[in-house]
Amino acid sequence: MSAFANILAGGVFHAAVLFLVAAGLQLVFGVQKIVNLACGSFYALGAYFGITFINYTTQFGISPWLIFPGLIISGIMLGFIGPPIERILRSVYGRDESFQLLLTFALVLIFQDVFKFIWGANPRSLDSAYLVYGTLRAGDFSIPVYNLLVILAAIAIAGGLGLFLQRTNYGRLLRATAENRAMAEALGVDVRRIYSTVFTLGAVLGTIAGALVVPTAAASLDMAIEFVIEAFAVVVIGGLGSMRGALVGALIVGLIRALSIVFFPELEVLAIYLIVIGVLIFRPVGLFGRSFA
Amino acid sequence: MTINSATLTALIGTAALALLPLVLPPYYVGLMIPFFGYAIALLGFNLLFGYTGLLSFGHAMFLGLGAYGAAVMSGVFGVKSFELVLLAVMLGSAVIALPIAFLCARYVGIFFGMLTLAFGMLFYSFLFKFYHLTGGDSGMRVPRMNILGLTFERYNKIEFLAGPFYYYCLGLLVIAGLVMWRIVHSPFGLHLKTIRDNARKAEYLGVHVHRFRLAAFVISAAFGAVGGAILAFRVGLADPELVYWTQSGQLVFMGVLGGFSNFFGPIIGALTYTLLQDQLQSLTEYWRSMLGVILALIVIGFPEGIAGLAVDLRRRLARRSQ
Amino acid sequence: MSLLLEARNVSKSYGVFRALENVNMTVSENELVSVVGPNGAGKTTLVNLFTGLLSPTSGEVLFMGKSIAGVGPVVLADRGMARAFQLIQIFPKLTVAETIAAAVVSQQKKRWRLVSQLSSDLRISERVREVAEIFGLDHRLNTVAASLSQGEKKLLDVASAFALDPQVILFDEPTSGVSTSDKHAIMKTLIAAGKIAGVKGIVLVEHDMDLVAAYSSRIIALAGGRVLADLPPDRFFSDPHLIDTVIGKRKGH
Repeated sequence: MSAFANILAGGVFHAAVLFLVAAGLQLVFGVQKIVNLACGSFYALGAYFGITFINYTTQFGISPWLIFPGLIISGIMLGFIGPPIERILRSVYGRDESFQLLLTFALVLIFQDVFKFIWGANPRSLDSAYLVYGTLRAGDFSIPVYNLLVILAAIAIAGGLGLFLQRTNYGRLLRATAENRAMAEALGVDVRRIYSTVFTLGAVLGTIAGALVVPTAAASLDMAIEFVIEAFAVVVIGGLGSMRGALVGALIVGLIRALSIVFFPELEVLAIYLIVIGVLIFRPVGLFGRSFA
Repeated sequence: MTINSATLTALIGTAALALLPLVLPPYYVGLMIPFFGYAIALLGFNLLFGYTGLLSFGHAMFLGLGAYGAAVMSGVFGVKSFELVLLAVMLGSAVIALPIAFLCARYVGIFFGMLTLAFGMLFYSFLFKFYHLTGGDSGMRVPRMNILGLTFERYNKIEFLAGPFYYYCLGLLVIAGLVMWRIVHSPFGLHLKTIRDNARKAEYLGVHVHRFRLAAFVISAAFGAVGGAILAFRVGLADPELVYWTQSGQLVFMGVLGGFSNFFGPIIGALTYTLLQDQLQSLTEYWRSMLGVILALIVIGFPEGIAGLAVDLRRRLARRSQ
Repeated sequence: MSLLLEARNVSKSYGVFRALENVNMTVSENELVSVVGPNGAGKTTLVNLFTGLLSPTSGEVLFMGKSIAGVGPVVLADRGMARAFQLIQIFPKLTVAETIAAAVVSQQKKRWRLVSQLSSDLRISERVREVAEIFGLDHRLNTVAASLSQGEKKLLDVASAFALDPQVILFDEPTSGVSTSDKHAIMKTLIAAGKIAGVKGIVLVEHDMDLVAAYSSRIIALAGGRVLADLPPDRFFSDPHLIDTVIGKRKGH
């Protein structure tokens, strides 16, 4: 029973990370209507850089207790790549979706070699310093406190994003631009700056997710490519453009993966694709998506 | 493109390809075999994309079906005739494509892309998970087969690939090209183009939009299977990596590189990509990013691809000579 | 005179909203029936019912005596009903000849021919030329639709509908966006083309009352989802109350 609970907890941890990347995807799609295949690359970038950052700071004797905030900071630091990449993507706004997909695919290819160049072809990992946070135990059930912190951080970010989008003026501006760009422009909104900001925010969510994952998993070249599929599954199940969808979709995908290891080890990853296909067939807009032409 | 300029292009191209083995070292000639495979697959892909307006991000799965089909037929069932294998994988691929097409062709744009991506990865996972059937990540062996009933035992693998098999594949490409040309210029092909340009209006002109998307999908699957079988034959292996989503992305890359609005675009794209990748790989280990940069440049600046540039050039030269 | 198109006690609701209530109307051979009414009166819903896009909540919609509820535009095109749109719909990358040929292919039932070549099919090319000539587009056969002028695009849109050789054509505000001086010319072309093409009945949805008065055999006024009147023009325009309801002000003021 507790083994089951442990696996579920692992699923929730995975869901937390997935949510962050999916939220980034949803933001960018909601506002700019671009599907970003390079989301996995941001994730991997966050992971690689997170390792470098932590190794660097530990050299200076920074306490291992600061790993958690340290990783988050390293993710945020990478935000500087947002604006230039958005600038590149600007050339395909409003053009056929195929070109948008292809341009982000080109970014994936370029990023792969950037990783190879800076960090080499072998996987990198952080030593188990994160265990400094200890493990929470309740009977036979145990979960590293670090994982709990990540889950809590994801929940906090989800709440923060929600509040930001619903309650603040800037959030309202974002939603207005997402709904009707022309109208927003006519009302004097600087749409270009919003696009740049949104894209950067999306990128940072991805890099933070990657950074947070490295204590538990290695950063590898495959990471960028494999993660895209899961992130897409989340977004399809939850509904393109919906934040709530990102949350629920991430939970579903994270838990399905965990559960299928227990009950249907043959299926595992297959289960996710089957659900994606099922959703696309029976409810193409996803659980929370709004239908659009 | 008029029939005459197309015929000229086709003749010149075929002649050039036929003379290649006499001019180039065997290494380059062997390199051309994948080109033939991809070119045939891309002809099918472009029927779906350039002519019907559907972008599939899972097309590599049909190459995979062709490859694994060849492995099963020749490796498991001992079929010796490559022609029989080709027919079988075309049929098998078409049959499998039918239900997938039925589900996917209801959607367009990004949803179609995502659905095909999902199906492609589903097949990939299947190949991995059921490793006792498919060999998992080691793939399945594809033994050498007879072409046109001949074994060519005297030739070793390299000579075979650079000689008889090269011309065999050239022949296959010519046939595939002829068939696709006829399809594209038939009443059926015209209806496909109306679907691409304005599906709603097409319905009002009596075009069976959903059925024809299905048909285009199935035909493209058959072409893809032939390409995959050729690829697998050359390597002697059906490899699951052939089906990974980045391979589907590569197919789209080739299509756009060559130019998807032009009949010969896919072939030009396959050729250029194959040569580019080879050259870049020998230049640097960071060839992937170079290809990425090229793709980005095309998308941003030259969306009509190489064929588009060529047509543009011809037009300018024609204007200048007036 | 046989009934071409018929709506029998048709009602259509979207949830609680009743778009059409007990509508009865017919179109017979050699009739040009105009459907008029203010926006929101249910004209679009009626048109969509007639073109098979919707099914009535109650009642029947019949074409040539057979129900067409929800059959869709493709089936209707095969059965002999065509529709021309208010907003111009073209195939941007196809030539005038190809656009018309697409309809001819459907009409000649050649759509599943995968290997025969269009260019060598004389029956198709002759028919394309025929239709293009009726609309004065025969000198533009090889022009790509996107490069045509607005007027030519409109003509092409209609020409492709005619190429289906339909029994009935439904025109959805065919002269909207056209300057007043051209409106009558276009209507005359459409009606003449219809006669040449063998079209037996025309349904016209229009706002311009002058056109309606000049060309209709009968006028059907819709308001609030109901049929207010179903009268020939002379009787229709002699009822000031009717005109008020339909266009909101008296004719001639």
